[in-house]
Formats: sequence, structure tokens, C-alpha cells
Amino acid sequence: MMKMKNFLVGLAFSVFAASSLASSGLTGQPAPDFALKSSSGDNLRLSEHRGDVVMVNFWATWCGPCRQEMPLLDELYSRYQRVGFSLLGVNIDDNSSKAMNMISELGVSFPVLFDSRKEVSKLYDVDAMPVTVIIDREGTVRYVHQGYKPGYEEMYLDQIRSLLRE
Amino acid sequence: MTKRLLISLFVSTLLAFGTISIAEEATPVAAEAESRNEFRSLDEDVQDLKKQVLDLNRDLFLLEEELLFPANSQVAFFISLDVGEYFDLDSVNLKIDGKEVANYLYTEREVGALARGGVHRVHMANLKTGDHELIAVFTGKGPHTRDYRRGATFSFSKGIGAKYMELEITDRVKKQQPEFEIKEWE
Repeated sequence: MMKMKNFLVGLAFSVFAASSLASSGLTGQPAPDFALKSSSGDNLRLSEHRGDVVMVNFWATWCGPCRQEMPLLDELYSRYQRVGFSLLGVNIDDNSSKAMNMISELGVSFPVLFDSRKEVSKLYDVDAMPVTVIIDREGTVRYVHQGYKPGYEEMYLDQIRSLLRE
Repeated sequence: MTKRLLISLFVSTLLAFGTISIAEEATPVAAEAESRNEFRSLDEDVQDLKKQVLDLNRDLFLLEEELLFPANSQVAFFISLDVGEYFDLDSVNLKIDGKEVANYLYTEREVGALARGGVHRVHMANLKTGDHELIAVFTGKGPHTRDYRRGATFSFSKGIGAKYMELEITDRVKKQQPEFEIKEWE
């Protein structure tokens, strides 16, 4: 009975891991363009970052793993920003003031955009939290990661480095 | 003697036959050349006819296309910026007959392009002929970098033919305020 339980738990975890690593239908497609208001007050448009490797990270204040992941993403941003890496955090909360509080609390330096109308999350079929999309210099979606688990940052690092080398 | 006469007769007969046969041969050559000319003119006629058919087919195709996909219902809206010292554009929201059709956020680069004389097509719609109302809401920073939001309403009549409308942001120097104008391109 115990063995059966362990097997089921293992199976559930493996299914979760597989789904979280699964790339969505966007992989290999041109990244849908968008423009959103940022935390600095400026409007930012994705297509203006063409030529950079861009990571778009969808997050919400109510999402625990997002809180865990954001400082690690900020480290990646600070390290690779100077060599053509951009990171855009897209917050999907209805109220941007909560997001602003969380940004200052976590001290993240990358630009955070507010998608309170949820138009951009629909464009990117965001149905989990967080969702991290990595786009190459040509503007093509190369990797889509759903969810976050400790250790994912190593995978992001490898992918970013390989795209920067292309 | 008789023998010589016979020979001369034979030769003259032969010559006569030869002339006839030559004459007979000359007539088909001329006829052939004539018929060839006829063929050529017929061929030219056929080519002309073919060209006319192709022209007609092209005209019919264009006519059919115009009927099936009329450009008549098109209305395009453009944003332009003249000087823009009293207004730093952030976004434009367009409503036609009460329905939101466009909400465009301008980045710093895009505002720079507008300031350098660029014109941005913010929306293109298909509208029925008749009267329509356009409400444009401009958001940005006004004088003294204060948040600024201004609406402009414009009623227009859509007739036959495509319509182009320009939403122009200008400076009113006297009042030190921005001005928002909507005008139709002729």
C-alpha cells in the first residue's frame, strides 16, 4: 500500500515537472509584440528590444514562487544586462500599487510592466504563475517555462548564455 | 532529214512541256506566299483578339474585386504631433460610436519619431456610410509635467470612398496649452 502511494506521488510529481517544463505552442513562433506602462512610468514595447535576448517573466503578488524567483532573475539581469540581455517583468495584478510595494520590498532592478487589462497574458496564453518566456535576438520565442521550482535559475542561465552566444 | 525533224520536234515539245511545268510550278509559289500573308494577318488578328480578351478579363477581375472587397468602407485614423512642447504623449484611446477600437501606448522612441514629423496610423476600420462619432482621449504629461488627459469628440459623415482622418496634437502658444484637432483629409 505504501509502495503504491509512493508510486502515485512520484507519478504526480513527474507529470507536474513534465507540464512545467513543457514548451507551449508559442515556441519557435515570433514573439507577439506588446507595449505596457512600466514601473518607471515609461511605456515599453517588446519590439524595441529586438537584437537583445529578452526574458519576459509573468508574475503576480499573490504567487509564492514568483516572490522566490524574482531576486534570482534580478541577479541574472544585473550580470548579463551589459551584454545584450533584457528582462521584462509583467505583473498581472488588477492593482499595480501592490506590485509596486513588492518590487520595492524585493529591491528588483529590472523593469516591471503592468498588464492590468490582462491583454498581454492572453497573447502569451499565460495559464500558470509564474511563466517565463525567453526570446532570441531575432524576436523568436525559444523557451517557455511554466511555474518555478528551485534550480530552474540554472536552466535559465544555460539558455540565456547559449542564446547570447548565437 | 526526217530524223532531224523528228528530233527537233521532240526537243521543242520537251521545251514546251518544260515551260508549262515551270509555269505550273511558279503559280503555287505565289499562292503559297499569298496564303502565308493571309495566315500572318489572321494570326495577328487572333493575337489582337486574344489581347482584347485578356484586357477584358483583367477589367472584369478588377471590377469584381472592387465589388466584392470595397475600399469604400475604410476609415483610417492617423496621429501626428506638431511641436508638442506643452504635451508629452503617453497614450491614445479611440472610441467609434461608443465602442473602444484602439488603445495605443507610445514609447519614448515612438514619440520622438512623431516629433520628427512621423505620422502613425493608430487604427483602421470598416464603417458603414452615414454619421459616426469619434471620441479620442489623449493621455500624457501636460505643461509643468502634470498628468494631462484630454478628450476630443468629432462627428463625421462617412460617404462613398475611403476616409482618412488626422488627429493632430499642436501647441497653443498663447494659452501655453496643447491643442487636439481632428481633421479629415480630402
